[in-house]
Amino acid sequence: MIMRDSFSEYHPAVNFVFFVGAIGCGVVFQHPAYLAVSVAASLLYYLTLGRKKAAKAILWMLVVVVCLAAVNPIFNTRGAHVLFSLFGRPYTQEALVYGVALSGVFLTMFLWFGCYNYVLTGDKFTSLFGNLIPSISLLLVMVLRMVPAFIKKTKQIIGARMSIGKGEDDKLREGMTVLGTLVSWALEGSIVTADSMRARGYGTAKRQSFLIYRMRKRDWWLLLTEAVLLAAVIAGACLGQANAVYLPAMGVAPLSWGAILYGIYVFIPLLINLKEAIVWHISRSGI
Amino acid sequence: MAHFQIRDLSFSYPTSKNKKSLDEVSLSIEKGEYIVLCGKSGSGKTTLLRHLKTVLTPHGKRSGEVLFNGVPIAEVSQRDQSAKIGYVMQNPDDQIVTDKVWHELAFGLESLGCDQKTMRARVAEMACYFGIQDWFHRDVSNLSGGQKQLLNLASIMAMQPEVLILDEPTSQLDPVAASDFLNTVRKINTELGTTIIITEHRLEDIFPYADRAIIMDSGKVIADDTPRNIGKLLYEQCSDMFAAMPTPVRVFYGVNGEGACPLTVREGRNWLSDTFTEPLTICEIPSLPADDEVYDAALSLKELWFRYEKDSPDILRSVSAEIPKGSMYAIVGGNGAGKSTALKAICGICRPYRGKVKVFGKPIEKYKAKELFGGCLAMLPQDPKSLFVKKTVREDLEEMTKDSQKIAEIAAVCEIGHLLESHPYDLSGGEQQRSALAKVLLTEPRLLLLDEPTKGIDSFFKEKLADILCKLKAQGITIVMVSHDVEFCAKYADLVSMFFDGQILTTDTPRRFFGGNSFYTTAAGRMSRHLFQQAVTAEDVISLYQQNKEALQ
Repeated sequence: MIMRDSFSEYHPAVNFVFFVGAIGCGVVFQHPAYLAVSVAASLLYYLTLGRKKAAKAILWMLVVVVCLAAVNPIFNTRGAHVLFSLFGRPYTQEALVYGVALSGVFLTMFLWFGCYNYVLTGDKFTSLFGNLIPSISLLLVMVLRMVPAFIKKTKQIIGARMSIGKGEDDKLREGMTVLGTLVSWALEGSIVTADSMRARGYGTAKRQSFLIYRMRKRDWWLLLTEAVLLAAVIAGACLGQANAVYLPAMGVAPLSWGAILYGIYVFIPLLINLKEAIVWHISRSGI
Repeated sequence: MAHFQIRDLSFSYPTSKNKKSLDEVSLSIEKGEYIVLCGKSGSGKTTLLRHLKTVLTPHGKRSGEVLFNGVPIAEVSQRDQSAKIGYVMQNPDDQIVTDKVWHELAFGLESLGCDQKTMRARVAEMACYFGIQDWFHRDVSNLSGGQKQLLNLASIMAMQPEVLILDEPTSQLDPVAASDFLNTVRKINTELGTTIIITEHRLEDIFPYADRAIIMDSGKVIADDTPRNIGKLLYEQCSDMFAAMPTPVRVFYGVNGEGACPLTVREGRNWLSDTFTEPLTICEIPSLPADDEVYDAALSLKELWFRYEKDSPDILRSVSAEIPKGSMYAIVGGNGAGKSTALKAICGICRPYRGKVKVFGKPIEKYKAKELFGGCLAMLPQDPKSLFVKKTVREDLEEMTKDSQKIAEIAAVCEIGHLLESHPYDLSGGEQQRSALAKVLLTEPRLLLLDEPTKGIDSFFKEKLADILCKLKAQGITIVMVSHDVEFCAKYADLVSMFFDGQILTTDTPRRFFGGNSFYTTAAGRMSRHLFQQAVTAEDVISLYQQNKEALQ
């Protein structure tokens, strides 16, 4: 069963701003508290979006991340506390912690981008920027349409050639033949597409984009919330709340309101899902 | 004032020396008319239609004029033309521009620069009218052919055109989707009063409802009359086009019937009932007794199971069949029943996970690819274009063999001798089909598989194809075809199988197979089944009619 993701049902602009903030901050902040909330939020959100598939992906990511953290001290030998020596080189505590932090950044990055893919599908992205640059967004949409069509046609051609006994020997040459056929077939199709576009008035007037998504009151509120939180977090960071130095010696800013606000920010999608679930239950129970 | 007025329009393409694609065509089309334009492939139908919209008009030498609402069409602004003249083309796939259904619906309106409010209203309205709500948010690539073509129509109707021009819109669709589509077109005509100009092969579904039928031959209009009179005209002229007429019309003129010509199955039934009021003495065509003798199987399928992905549902669910050597075997069935997949399983493109395929008594795994596809088995795919890889038909044939003698022979069999130097893409649907068939035949198969061989080709080329297939059968080649075309199978196949729910349910001779069905049968069968038994083609009905007439006298 696919769980509904209420955050995805907000206007794409709201989603987009959130991801810009989350990903941007995720790259910049290396403060352990900031990192921890970001990793936790992205991990949980990715799991709610992708379920089983996501769990598998996360497992792989964790393996990579652990390796990354463990390997970092081998190359980076700076740091005050030496844990042990490896190949005659010191393996320091600071370098290890730094490795963990770095891999945390990587992990949260991967996860946010994963979530982004689930939430901001191609059509949402184009509808978001369609009105700014209509011709480019149309191009993008057409390309999106062509890719599956080409794959289908390629399979058809390979199947057709197989059934007359072609394609067994000389794979390279066969590949070129299939490609050539695909190109001429696609070119022919594109003539029809061009006709169909002109027949429907393409180029007769200034092109408008049909906006299927509308900003509603709740979208404006969420957008405002995002903006305020983000501004506060950035202001806090400018005050040095997110400062963290790992090498050569650890120096981490104390926990502050900035980190808490950041925590609220990154948990927005999950909080919304939770709120929706509660609202639903209450409305069903008829209280 | 006429909606479209065409005066002495002549046109020739720059590449053709003296041949005129349109020759002195004069027509007048009134507002709200439903006009069907028929003619063989290459008779100039598409060229004529394309002259009704300037952006689609081909380049070439032209004389005469086309008036739209009394104004020469070239003087009507592009914007007005885009909005007022809707044009639906043949290929459902290539016409679609965007990747989402909702976006495609809005495409025309976006181009015209409508404001958001209008767009919203129109898109919503069209989605409801065409029943698109359920798949409004879907990706275009997940739609069936019928849905795609409906989407193309809806996206044009969103611009609220006055005229709708349709160029063989259903040629790539299966019969159910096609009649759905044509019913929608009819609904648009009757409910919205939109003028309809349509070209079609499938006349049974539109002929009864059209106001006028216009027949074209080599660029000339040879007949322009009501559908009821057209049949007579064509019959008297002994035109090739007569074969394209609906079955009731063919039967009526085939027996020189009296009174008004029936156009629909219902009218045909009534006409037969009125003619034969007394019980009939001869109601069956003497058919051969059931063929129970043990035959050599060219192909035997034993309980094939197949699915595309591990978790997806089974497409083939225990398919079993024995196909006798030297026969023409047809598999019919609904869309998406798995017929094409069954063919793919036979030639090894799909590997069944259970079951056995035996070709000429030998399991298919035991064959080497060279051995199997070189002289044993070959398949003609649904889309002949997937076989063309060279610049001319001759080069394409030379890819298969260097023996020019053999190429000439096969070209003669497939009647493509005059097309050898053409680019495959310049040929009409029927010609492409035959060229692809020639290429397939060069592997000298003893077992030929055909996937929808009659898709998108007109009745004239269908007969040509049937001739070729009969010739091949006479040479001892076993033919297995998968088809939606009930009429074609009834006429030419030796055995017909029904494919349903992933398996072959029944197999019988066409007479008994279609004679027993009440819905899944030919128009001739539906028209005559209350009087005759097992009369499944127009020829059957004609012959029984005449025998009974003689008996009565």
